[in-house]
Amino acid sequence: MLRRNVRLRREYLYRKNLEGKERLLYEKKRKIKQALEEGKPIPTELRNEEAALRQEIDLEDEYTAVPRSTIDDEYANATERDPKILLTTSRDPSAPLTQFVKELKFVFPNTQRMNRGGQVISEIIETCRAHDFTDVILVHEHRGVPDGLVISHLPFGPTAYFGLLNVVTRHDIKDKKAIGTMPEAYPHLILDNFSTKLGERTANILKHLLPVPKPDTKRIITFANQSDYISFRHHLYEKRGGPKSIELKEIGPRFELRLYQIKLGTMDQDEAQTEWVLRPYMNTSKKRKMIGD
Amino acid sequence: MPTAAVTAGDGPETTAGREALRKLKSTDPPLYLCPSEDLSKAARLASEYLFSSLKPYTPKSPFSHLLVNGFDAEQIWQQIDLQTQPLISSLRRQVKKFEKNPEEIRNLFNLGEKDKKNDGNDVGTISNGDEKMENEEGFDEFEDEEMEGDDDDDEEEEEEEEEEEEGNAHEGKEEDGGGGGVEDNFLKIKELEEYLEEDEAREYGLKKEKKQGKRDQEDDNDKEGDDEDEDDDEDEEEEDDELGVMGVDVGEDDESGEELENARYEDFFGGKGKMGQKRKSKLLHGSDNLDMDGELSEESSDDEKNQSQKKQKLSTHEKELEKLHSTIEQMEKANLEPKTWTMQGEVTAAKRPKNSALEVDLDFEHNVRPAPVITEEVTASLEELIQKRILEGRFDDVQKPPTLPSRAPREVKELDENKSKKGLAEIYEEEYVQKSGLVSTAVSISDQQKKEAGMLFKELCLKLDALSHFHFTPKPVIEDLSIQANVPALAMEEIAPLAVSDAAMLAPEEVFTGKGDIKEDSELTQAERKRRRAKKKRKFKAVAAKRMANKVQHSSLQNRVDGNEES
Repeated sequence: MLRRNVRLRREYLYRKNLEGKERLLYEKKRKIKQALEEGKPIPTELRNEEAALRQEIDLEDEYTAVPRSTIDDEYANATERDPKILLTTSRDPSAPLTQFVKELKFVFPNTQRMNRGGQVISEIIETCRAHDFTDVILVHEHRGVPDGLVISHLPFGPTAYFGLLNVVTRHDIKDKKAIGTMPEAYPHLILDNFSTKLGERTANILKHLLPVPKPDTKRIITFANQSDYISFRHHLYEKRGGPKSIELKEIGPRFELRLYQIKLGTMDQDEAQTEWVLRPYMNTSKKRKMIGD
Repeated sequence: MPTAAVTAGDGPETTAGREALRKLKSTDPPLYLCPSEDLSKAARLASEYLFSSLKPYTPKSPFSHLLVNGFDAEQIWQQIDLQTQPLISSLRRQVKKFEKNPEEIRNLFNLGEKDKKNDGNDVGTISNGDEKMENEEGFDEFEDEEMEGDDDDDEEEEEEEEEEEEGNAHEGKEEDGGGGGVEDNFLKIKELEEYLEEDEAREYGLKKEKKQGKRDQEDDNDKEGDDEDEDDDEDEEEEDDELGVMGVDVGEDDESGEELENARYEDFFGGKGKMGQKRKSKLLHGSDNLDMDGELSEESSDDEKNQSQKKQKLSTHEKELEKLHSTIEQMEKANLEPKTWTMQGEVTAAKRPKNSALEVDLDFEHNVRPAPVITEEVTASLEELIQKRILEGRFDDVQKPPTLPSRAPREVKELDENKSKKGLAEIYEEEYVQKSGLVSTAVSISDQQKKEAGMLFKELCLKLDALSHFHFTPKPVIEDLSIQANVPALAMEEIAPLAVSDAAMLAPEEVFTGKGDIKEDSELTQAERKRRRAKKKRKFKAVAAKRMANKVQHSSLQNRVDGNEES
């Protein structure tokens, strides 16, 4: 297991090294393809390699045509299986936090909740790897109010650290009949305004927490980004009346996420490289919008 | 609750209203916190009563009664507001005037015998009113702190309004009850004039109460009929034109009209004695001018006289310069003193007075965008977006990956229906050639691809092994021996164009190595031919001789053997 991990890590590093060369090749192929389509002569610098490259172009399919970045390679095989998530808290959670975690368990399908007890994070991650979990979610709190969320993709995937704001849990809304029960069908997903590269990366991380839904589900989860604050909403919709009327009923907790760090390893790897970290004390930080527009 | 002034009103309604007011006044403040029907009704009644009692004093109010039934707190408040806003401003002005000069009250009211009584009452009620205002303000604050819940809000708002109204009512009653036919226009003009004159007096340090009084009367005569605004403008203009030299004390009524008309340049800039003396007495009201103060403190009247004369000789420019000098001196003095703590650099808590940071308005630059407040509009916009997306059907779900084919697709053998170009014999020939392996050609393209694939995969495996084994030894390179038939390349390839013809597979040296001038049989001359034949014979003879020698040897050996045997 150890040797396997070592080999996989080395593979990853090697592929990352090749990424630069692959990109060059891709560029050359693209130029040739363009020249062929337009009927123009092939650029002179590519004449020698043209035959070989043309052969490769013919043999390509949609998978290999686009150069894969190693960074998102972590999710390359994620779509083949349904995600399996483990949900825990920080140590000694308060009652409101446990309630919130219970709600989150129903929001993401195929999730298991675990009591934290006195476990160390590296233990948790190792057991998850052994049991083939794909993601681990950790929720932190401050005096009963949930204030932190850590999403870690498991086979050495990226870890995203979020801060939670404006949390409204289902338990806050006293009227139980109005809320009703939470359905457990696989939901549709809406990701709005994740336009930068970092935004795409975050969208990817959030997207792969959910499985492939059936096209006719009535449950919908929304992550909408507005000036770097991602709003999470959970609705049930119904097409009533005429063709253009949709009735939305909000269920589930509601909160704002604020991304402050992405690391390229799992939670237990402290020495992992940081892909991105929030800089709030920079002079221009008020003007910059890192996730959306 | 004493109501000294008499207000005209309907008997039963006024009493009901007064009852209500009394009741509200007598309830304990904490009781207002719980919603109660009685208090609410009482508040409404009281408001109605106060509104109708104030009605005669506010000419501009559009409502004859306060409409209370079926209106909520906001609307009732708006109505009261409409009425009280102009009232409050006029009352404020009146109060200021009275503060400055209590004697004015008597004059304004123009009541003969009732004067003293009314004054006494008015003064009493004024003070009561003031107290009441203070009490109410205190009460209002208390109520503000405790507002909670919708029902409570309504009630308490009404009660606040009603309390403020009570105060207003008092002041209104005092003034207007005594004044009778005092109009708003008139009051405002007077107020403005007084204020302007006072201001200029402060600015330029000259007080001319005589002029003031005369001007008042003139103004009254001239401008009573005009609009307020015009009056105000004209007043201001007049003030400006005369550079405020006319600016004087607040109206004293014992000036005669003659002095105003006789106001000449000499009075201000060169007059000896007359004006100066009169002005001297007004200097007690103080000014920014240090010289003036210096003057006052001096004892000799002559000196004062002289200096006051000098004072008059100063033009406005000189006065401005003096003011400028005084401000400069002040600022220099301030610079020499130690600065206040807000102006110092880093100030710890020990260096500034206690709780002083709370009073100062500190300004920080926040570099972080503040967290979004989730309002109704935000939620509505989010829901709109979601609905739009649902209608379009544009979701960002995870897509199922395209599955790679696990098995290679079967080669579909097409039956070619055209007549075969090769004859049957040729087909058999090709098969035989293939079997015997003389010519190695690829039968079908897929084989070639398979071979290529095999080679590529071998290479790949090699690389992978290189990566994964600690002790890696590459396979030894085997140079393969292959026999190359000396057949022209044309025969090896199937699909080469005819124009291209590679040379024979073997190089010329591999075919024949030789030196010198090589001649063919047909090229030889007779002599050469003979020479060649002679050479051949010689070689043949040499070989024959050798053979013979070998035979003899062999036979001799045998003879010897035989001989041995024989003998």
